[in-house]
Amino acid sequence: MNSLVDLIISDSDSIRNQSLESICANLQSSDLLSHADELDKFRRTSGNLYHRVRALFFLSAIHRYYLPKTIPGTQSGKIPFVGYQHLLSRRFVEAIDQFLDVQATQGPSDGLCSAFAEAYHQLGFQTLADQVRKSVRTVHGNQWMFRLGHPADHPLRIRKELLKRGSKSQARPTLREETAVRMDFSHSAWSDIFFLGMDFPQGARVLNASIDLGVCGRDTTTKPPIETYLRVIDEPIFRLVSVDLGASAEVHSISEMFDFARDHLGLLKAAVVASGIVPPGLDGSNQSMAEILALVVGPGNGIELVSQINDIPKGSRLAVSTNLLGSLIAILMRATGQIDSLDGPLNEQDRQLVGARAILGEWIGGSGGGWQDSGGVWPGIKLIEGAIATEGDAEFGISRGRLMPTHRILKESDAPASTREKLQDSLVLVHGGMAQNVGPILEMVTERYLLRSEAEWLGREKAIRILDEIMIAMREGDIRRIGQLTTHNFQGPLQTIIPWATNRFTDLVIETCREKYGDRFWGFWMLGGMSGGGMGFLFDPEIKKQAQTWLADTLINIKRQLAHSLPFAMDPVVYDFKINDRGTSAEFLVDNHAPMPEKYYALMIPKQLRKPLRDHSRDRQSELEQVGQACRSDQSDTSRLLIDSILPRSSNLAESGQSLAEVLNECGFDRQQHDVIRDDLRAGRIGLTHNRLAANLAITDVLASDVTDMRFDPNPDATKLGQQAIQNSEVAVVTLAAGVGSRWTQGAGVSKALHPFYKFAGKHRSFLEVHLAKNRRTTESINGTIPHVVTTSHLTDTAIRNQLKADDQFGFTGPLYISTGKSIGLRTVPMVRDLQFLWEETSQQVLDEQQQRVRESARQALTAWAKQAGEGSDYTDNLPHQCIHPVGHWYEVPNLIINGVLKQMLTNHPSLRYLMLHNIDTLGANVDPLMLGQHIIQQSTLSFEVITRRLEDRGGGLARVDGRPRLVEGLAMPNEEAEFNLTYYNSMTTWIEIDRLLDAMGLSRGDLDNPNATENAVRSLSKRLPTYITLKDVKKRWGNGQEDIYPVAQFEKLWGDMTTLPEIDCQFLIAPIHRGQQLKSQDQLDSWKRDGTADYINSLCAW
Amino acid sequence: MQIRNAVITAAAPGQNRLPLQQLVDRNGEEKTALQLILEQCWSSGIEDVCVVISPGDEGAFRSASGQHDGQVSFITQQAPRGYADALLLTRPFTKEAPFLHLVGDHLYLSESDLTCAAQLLAIASDAECAVSAVQSTRENNLPYFGIASGRPVPNTKGLYEVERVSEKPTPTYAEQALVTPGLRSGHYLGFFGMHVLTPQVMQLLEEAAKPSQTHSRTLSDALNLLPSRERYLAYQLEGHRCNLGVKYGLLKAQLAIGLSGRDREVILSELVELLSQHVQKTPVS
Repeated sequence: MNSLVDLIISDSDSIRNQSLESICANLQSSDLLSHADELDKFRRTSGNLYHRVRALFFLSAIHRYYLPKTIPGTQSGKIPFVGYQHLLSRRFVEAIDQFLDVQATQGPSDGLCSAFAEAYHQLGFQTLADQVRKSVRTVHGNQWMFRLGHPADHPLRIRKELLKRGSKSQARPTLREETAVRMDFSHSAWSDIFFLGMDFPQGARVLNASIDLGVCGRDTTTKPPIETYLRVIDEPIFRLVSVDLGASAEVHSISEMFDFARDHLGLLKAAVVASGIVPPGLDGSNQSMAEILALVVGPGNGIELVSQINDIPKGSRLAVSTNLLGSLIAILMRATGQIDSLDGPLNEQDRQLVGARAILGEWIGGSGGGWQDSGGVWPGIKLIEGAIATEGDAEFGISRGRLMPTHRILKESDAPASTREKLQDSLVLVHGGMAQNVGPILEMVTERYLLRSEAEWLGREKAIRILDEIMIAMREGDIRRIGQLTTHNFQGPLQTIIPWATNRFTDLVIETCREKYGDRFWGFWMLGGMSGGGMGFLFDPEIKKQAQTWLADTLINIKRQLAHSLPFAMDPVVYDFKINDRGTSAEFLVDNHAPMPEKYYALMIPKQLRKPLRDHSRDRQSELEQVGQACRSDQSDTSRLLIDSILPRSSNLAESGQSLAEVLNECGFDRQQHDVIRDDLRAGRIGLTHNRLAANLAITDVLASDVTDMRFDPNPDATKLGQQAIQNSEVAVVTLAAGVGSRWTQGAGVSKALHPFYKFAGKHRSFLEVHLAKNRRTTESINGTIPHVVTTSHLTDTAIRNQLKADDQFGFTGPLYISTGKSIGLRTVPMVRDLQFLWEETSQQVLDEQQQRVRESARQALTAWAKQAGEGSDYTDNLPHQCIHPVGHWYEVPNLIINGVLKQMLTNHPSLRYLMLHNIDTLGANVDPLMLGQHIIQQSTLSFEVITRRLEDRGGGLARVDGRPRLVEGLAMPNEEAEFNLTYYNSMTTWIEIDRLLDAMGLSRGDLDNPNATENAVRSLSKRLPTYITLKDVKKRWGNGQEDIYPVAQFEKLWGDMTTLPEIDCQFLIAPIHRGQQLKSQDQLDSWKRDGTADYINSLCAW
Repeated sequence: MQIRNAVITAAAPGQNRLPLQQLVDRNGEEKTALQLILEQCWSSGIEDVCVVISPGDEGAFRSASGQHDGQVSFITQQAPRGYADALLLTRPFTKEAPFLHLVGDHLYLSESDLTCAAQLLAIASDAECAVSAVQSTRENNLPYFGIASGRPVPNTKGLYEVERVSEKPTPTYAEQALVTPGLRSGHYLGFFGMHVLTPQVMQLLEEAAKPSQTHSRTLSDALNLLPSRERYLAYQLEGHRCNLGVKYGLLKAQLAIGLSGRDREVILSELVELLSQHVQKTPVS
């Protein structure tokens, strides 16, 4: 039997827990291909789901990490477009078959490996997701909800108590549920991922506590942060209100209830669906909500569901959203008799039910949480553990573990009251202000678990032992020991499993705590997911109060230092907390005049007052009267909040900083050019469709003679020439750092250049620091001087200058220039036709069924937003720096000419002849003597470095267009298939001969003093280059750490189009993959590290 | 086990007029619903019947009970204190003997030679224990029925050892606790409105009738406790029941009786004529 298959199916732990690495590390390509072949056969025939999944992840890893290193580089096979389309449409099996067919004829190649890796990876996760979904559906108590197909068959009825009017007020009663959030004690090493719990139940263990919260300095007391309310109303609608998000909706049809991304009420809708009141089986039915409500609540009646989370910011790592979901589900289930008790806490059976439904709700709403996340529904401190599936469980025979874990609430003997007290006296809970998506982290954890990578597996075992030690320390009341353990857990096992669990911000805060308090700082406590959001710091109780105040200031200071390099959603917050011993608990309010939270009235009453009083339902009229009475009788908070919500406040401009108009003025915004572009956009003269080249142009792959392969020929002559040029200070580096990394942080608006993305030599380093470290290394090894230029835009200039100053240029002592870009554009609201083109006409990865539905719903909402905001109008509804954009990297070199930096460099370094221009994310680009020497030998104006294409390298490539080799931007491709015929992808790294470029622009070195001449030259060149319209994501932040992402339109001119100009002599050099690979999004980081690229980059740097 | 007595409950507010409704039986004779229920009792070997009624209803019920006046007694439930209370009131009548219990707003139509009541009594006599008549009930009807769950008794079709009973359960609870092997998914054993009850049940009713904080106890609550005290069976008998208390219940009951009796052809032809008229009147779109 194949040794890898044996590793999958073995009953012996010692064999099964071996790593893939231990077998594949030193194999040749033929052996790896043979293993891949066997594994592929195995995964097609194995009846065991988990065996199949592990085989799929092995296959993915072989193609991603092992095989590419063993394939001769000359094999540059293309990825079949049909396979790619299958992949995008989630037909993974068909995609793999396509790739296999091509591999059989062309042989293996780096490009095909990337396609295989992605297809196997996605098929693996799809298989897992399908299984979890199936398990969620088959939980007893959930199944009926999927069978119900018509509202007339609805089997739930509202509790009679909720219909009975109060004897005094005549108002119907209100149910109020208060729910804690959960705090993870030990960090579970992400073992609460459903799949891990189901495959490795004995390793899935979490210690978590339910806690009440208050914001330090704002709230006088701690309380359960989640409150939900439910009452019967005399209108046949489902009214959903989220007080914190300031959102309300009246749901009139069943289909609206399944439209999760239409507004900010997706979580409430998911709860209504998961509670069974509008069960998932009704999804797609067109009936009105009144039909269901007539049966469930009685004709003419409806339900109002209200949520409030006491201003706890998003990303707190306290599972606020899952516990809110649990709270909503609990209250809805109480109201419909699915939970027996109408008030008080829940019993264990009911909590389990709510927990299962919360999982269902997360799946329905397209979000994802771990199985410990609904811990706030349970009281106190509990040990949550994976459970072995036994006969009678739906999972029996399919997986080792059950979907639902077991919860053991710790008794006094395990967690004495004294320990709880001590913990409360020692722990400072904070929200660091970062709200990050942990989805990619969870995928990485799953993958690593399946591959049993040695270090990570040992890390997992260690984390399991740490939990046991924490339990002991808890029993003994040794908080200092707990601090040591949680710190060790964070810095040891957790970062071994996922290095991305920490970041520069967290490390800096921990360092600062240590510096300030020494051994009175007892430890760091990571709460779930990743750090940067919710975190804990343990201090000696004697200094806790003082440390808490100090930490609040310190966090804000450190955030300010890093605000331009890391995506913060809000200012850090320090909490007060208390362990909650009730879990979720309800109150039944009768004859309460204004039972809803005060903010509810502030939100709802202004809307209601737009309608004449007589048009409101009887209950609504009566409530308005009662609130009016309350406002008149005392100066309650309600009246103050109400006035605030109705009447405008004077705006304080000093607080809001520079206005957009001021920013535009300061940057020399070209209003005239903007108006022309905007008019063209609105008139349909430019747009996404117009970016494309004419369909009748012949676009073919380049010939071997069009490129120079630099991967295998050491060419000592060229290397020597390059070295001499470096020694003679003939070359400078131009690092493009004007961008804000729209893809990198999904439009968070931080400078990508400054993002400390990876720990090199024990410290998080930014892109910019890496580039400077490469320069240092090259100059040190060759003994030359390489001036370094960093180009910036208005969005990044100040931040980069400040950072360089603060960090002493990252220790770079060579000549460093900042070239400030002067061109900015103003973003516009996109045209609906462009949105449709992007979503419908270009290939997009179809998501998992439910997520895809959520995405489609969001797209409808965005289309409605574009129409309502005015298609093509200026985008101004955001912070000024989020409304403007750099106008494309083409402008960076002209800027050097216009702003005098080039002149200055030539003055300081008269021998300077060449520039190496590169993107901020092309980390492998260094001043390689071989490449430089080749550029010198070829005597071309521009030499572009290209690399062989991988699946993720989308965005055009090197092509022959009507017989002439040139770079074609992805936006300009007449169709997507054409791109797949191109072997090479543009790395954007360009060698420039300065004098030839100036000559082509009609300039000479002497003209650089003449602003008119340079500006005219640039303007006339720019007119000959195409302007592209692109859609970029931009984040709009609001509320407490909330973020909405909008696609906005902007225009760009791109550097690669220089290859279209006949007077510019261009050459194309094939560079090794590592040298040209770009890091476009953070989810590439993991494989970037694992495939050895990170080590390669490190080897280019001198720190 | 000999069962001579029957109890009919007909005191529920809003339903107390249903047994008085006039219907035409299988032989074409006009009778009240009460008469039809009583006839089923007599033909099954029951000798005495006690009807629990609301205050002021005795006259109407007496006249609606037909010629069996002497064998029928009436007990008035003075206040609407629920089903369990109504049954408990009959304790002086049932004494310490098992009895047949039927609800006054249902009619029971057999699909075999024996009446529904006779089928149930036969099972109870054989097994010498309490038996509830049940029918397979889809989950959408859970809000209307008491539901029993249990294990099938080997070698007896349609007979189950009851393990648990719940009154109008939610589908969530039903799926977790009331699934009975052998039934289609989403189907449960719903009460038929006909039981043979033992003195133990009356004892449990008394215990269960104690005031509770959440809701008043029902017959189902008592029956849920019964398996822990004595054997308790459920039987899927050959027949069906017509609930007179639901919308068009009376109409459906009448059609069901008529279509199983002498005037079947007449009713069918009337229905066809009615349908054809309806079709003609429906505007063509």
